[in-house]
Amino acid sequence: MDVFEAIKGRRSIRKFKRGKVPRDLIEKILDAARWAPSGGNIQPWKFIVVDDEKVLERIKSVSPGLFGDPPALIVICSEKERAFKVGGKLARDYLTIADCSMAAQNMCLAAYALGLGSCIVKSFSSIGVKEILEIPEGIEPELIVTIGWPDITPSPPPRKSIEEITYLNKYGVTWSEK
Amino acid sequence: MKSEEKSYVEFIKVLSFLAASARGCVDEPPLYGPFRLVDAISRLIDFVLREKVLPENKFLVDIKKFIDENKFKVMLSEEEFVKFLDELVKRFARELREKV
Repeated sequence: MDVFEAIKGRRSIRKFKRGKVPRDLIEKILDAARWAPSGGNIQPWKFIVVDDEKVLERIKSVSPGLFGDPPALIVICSEKERAFKVGGKLARDYLTIADCSMAAQNMCLAAYALGLGSCIVKSFSSIGVKEILEIPEGIEPELIVTIGWPDITPSPPPRKSIEEITYLNKYGVTWSEK
Repeated sequence: MKSEEKSYVEFIKVLSFLAASARGCVDEPPLYGPFRLVDAISRLIDFVLREKVLPENKFLVDIKKFIDENKFKVMLSEEEFVKFLDELVKRFARELREKV
């Protein structure tokens, strides 16, 4: 699939069909995630795949922003302590979040290319997720990516134009003046 | 699982959602407060009907459907979301006028 097709075609799916996602497809999504860029190549991520129904129910119950009964999800965690040791405060406080976000985007694009739907979720209780998944200190759940077969694919929400968000060589000089 | 135990599990799930939402509302955008509240209405209706706390009820079924079809407007347009909330309250008020 053409990369622009994936970027523009991907939607946040909040209603999934019943049906498990085979683990080999999940592994392809994980493979795409690990190829995301990361500051200083720290690769500060740890991924926890959840496809057990009971564990899914537990995670859903402490994740108000998680919709649509996905048959699988991936919790993207950052290794805060290791990031600090290697890259200092900048890595621990900022880069880990950016890195995990880029891994999440790769996951969503890979899922779309495989015919799957996904949604990036931040509205969840970190403490609750850590307790349920027995995540140790120093590891922080940053994002959840839900994965499943899309039931309803929403229309694309409006996007700001390039002119509205882009300047050329100096802030305030619009791109359209090029 | 016995039906009482199942009901307890389902109830705990709703309460966990409310607790996580309460914590989330401290940091989330202000409009997510009403969003979580209406989503909670939908989940509570789901609970009472699925666990047969109340018998089948058209008003509750319709209200749940109305919420689920409109709640995501919060992500698209504040104006549309507020219109939906106004309509929701109006529907509850009509039910109150008839039943209370």
